[in-house]
Amino acid sequence: MLIPSGRSWSALMYVLCFLSSIALTSAQDDWDDDWDDEELPSLTMHGFAEAALGLRSVEDPVQPDDVLLSEVRFRLELAQSIDEADLRLKADFNADEVGDHVDIDIRQALITLRAASWLDIRAGRQILTWGTGDLLFLNDLFPKDFVSFFIGRADEYLKAPSNALKLSLFSDALNADIVVTPVFTPDRAISGARLSFFSPMLPGRLGRVNMPQPLEARLPTRSFGNAELALRLFRRLGGVELAAYLYRGFSKQPLAFDSRDSIQSYAALNVYGASLRGSLFGGIASLEGAYYDSRRDKRGTDPNLPNSQMRLLAGHERSLAAQLNLGLQYYLEWTQDHDALLANSAFAEFEPEEFRHLLTSRLQWRTMQETLTLSLFAFVTIGERDFHLRPSLTRSWSDALTFALGANLMWGDDHRFFGQLADNSNVYLRLRYAY
Amino acid sequence: MLRIVSILFFLICSLGVDRIEGSAPKGGEADAIVGKANLAAYYAGTDGRARVRMTITDAQGRERVRQFTILRRDINDGGDQEYLLHFSRPADLRGTVFLVNKHVARDDDRWLYLPGLDLVKRIAAGDKRTSFVGSDFFYEDVSGRGVEEDHHELIETSSEYYVVKNTPIDPGTVEFSSWTAWIDKQSYLPRKMEYLDNTGKVYRRIEALEVRNVGAYPTVSKMKVSDLRSGTYTVSEFRKIEYDLNFPADVFSERSLRNPPRQWLRGR
Repeated sequence: MLIPSGRSWSALMYVLCFLSSIALTSAQDDWDDDWDDEELPSLTMHGFAEAALGLRSVEDPVQPDDVLLSEVRFRLELAQSIDEADLRLKADFNADEVGDHVDIDIRQALITLRAASWLDIRAGRQILTWGTGDLLFLNDLFPKDFVSFFIGRADEYLKAPSNALKLSLFSDALNADIVVTPVFTPDRAISGARLSFFSPMLPGRLGRVNMPQPLEARLPTRSFGNAELALRLFRRLGGVELAAYLYRGFSKQPLAFDSRDSIQSYAALNVYGASLRGSLFGGIASLEGAYYDSRRDKRGTDPNLPNSQMRLLAGHERSLAAQLNLGLQYYLEWTQDHDALLANSAFAEFEPEEFRHLLTSRLQWRTMQETLTLSLFAFVTIGERDFHLRPSLTRSWSDALTFALGANLMWGDDHRFFGQLADNSNVYLRLRYAY
Repeated sequence: MLRIVSILFFLICSLGVDRIEGSAPKGGEADAIVGKANLAAYYAGTDGRARVRMTITDAQGRERVRQFTILRRDINDGGDQEYLLHFSRPADLRGTVFLVNKHVARDDDRWLYLPGLDLVKRIAAGDKRTSFVGSDFFYEDVSGRGVEEDHHELIETSSEYYVVKNTPIDPGTVEFSSWTAWIDKQSYLPRKMEYLDNTGKVYRRIEALEVRNVGAYPTVSKMKVSDLRSGTYTVSEFRKIEYDLNFPADVFSERSLRNPPRQWLRGR
């Protein structure tokens, strides 16, 4: 059914009342206010309130609920800068009807320090991103939230926070970012609780109907040796940005299986990569490569561990006309020792192809002074015939009030990457009031 | 001459000023005026800072606000420049940083830092004549239109203004067929610019509404861009304008995208 439950509606109505009360009471920007003092070091408080509703567009036989997203989120952002130190807190209070709980998600709690002319320190809970891909991440092994990504939350929720220390070193010849995450932080992965997925053991798709509890995975033991280390060396050469990357840690998805305890776990992983980005043909071209070294399965013979992979990405983005942009990417995942993988796998028919070719396109049109944005992002896996479409419409009625309507549409065979999510296709709507 | 501000804002640049070392044909009176205006106005001083408020008004009269601090530094007089913009309003742009390396000899390099995703995004050169953060200003208005991209022709000299017509050398890269600038004979500040479409009709206008002396420099402190087709307009106001602050070069590096240079943004 496509009608939200009574509870969703009451939640929505509650939010609408809440939003309108803020709208009525909030001070309007005045021409006479001291807007020229905004950089001064005072405590600032901002945030937003948002209501979101997402409904399945097709029925999923392994999920009992038709509502995929029904939540009221309240964001609080506090910032204070003192001399060269900047303190920031960004917390989300989220009343989540689907998960049936209220949670507090601290997205940022950090101090940024310009410690020396050559050193920046960023310590605490933070969002971290690097690399050249658009919604594709090769050398960015910082945690992602794929549940948020597929159910229609705002784009920023694709990135999940890490508790980390980031040191940035600068010199004329070379710059370096060193990120240490003492406790391994995995992706917020699809577990069956909200989004169903394919299991080769069944074989078939798993959701709340046929899973006693959501998929759990065992984290690496907390030890000095299991801390995550990410390094980026970068510089600019003329208009070209060059970077080299190194990561030592674990696969961010639970790709390993511990057969003794019969539980998923995270495989030891090193990643070595490089990227460049510059202007080309009136647009921006990027090239990135990464070698995923499965440290414990160098020869690809262990069926319980992922094989090593070579990943490559080439992208180009340009404007087709005023306010109309097109970005294209080609992405390759080349699974190493593929013969050994098939020879040892208990589910050879469901293993990925040796070469997985993915094309993406982002078409974006902004109009009405950018108060209306129409966007279509598409992932298409060539040869495996599965795809993921992300159409969206965003409308700003004012600087404070924004409305987003969109869909996540997946299609393909059950055992394919996007295909397994086909029955989770959905349509969503979000209303945000920023203050 | 105006500095920063004007600088920043197209005016001048767009002004169609010819650079001394520029490749455009030399010798014409228009080129000389445009060159003089460029040197006097656009590149005066070595660097500068201003607080900027853009008020965007749509066809129904509804207003939105964009507010930022802008830092500018000249690499060499009449040549390359660097800009850093740090947004404080509205909510969805707060903390966004825009960095421009403006080049005379090739396309500008431009980056945008989106704090929500900790993402440094690079912006294509082809987006030059598209809206700057939803306003009626174009990106090119902010970081400047290369003077060598147009032919300049002096079409009128009044008691107050030199009127210069500018025709694009490569019409395929712009939406106008020509544009006309009214340059103040005293200060060499452009006071008005009008953009014409293929039928010769004015569809876009930029006006300097207020000029103030900042130290020794006459500076445009309020300007308006009108889109005459859609009926929308944007007014930019500049406050706390200062020049010759001696910014170090690394203020305009990737470092400043992720960690804005508070000391220099704030001022003393």
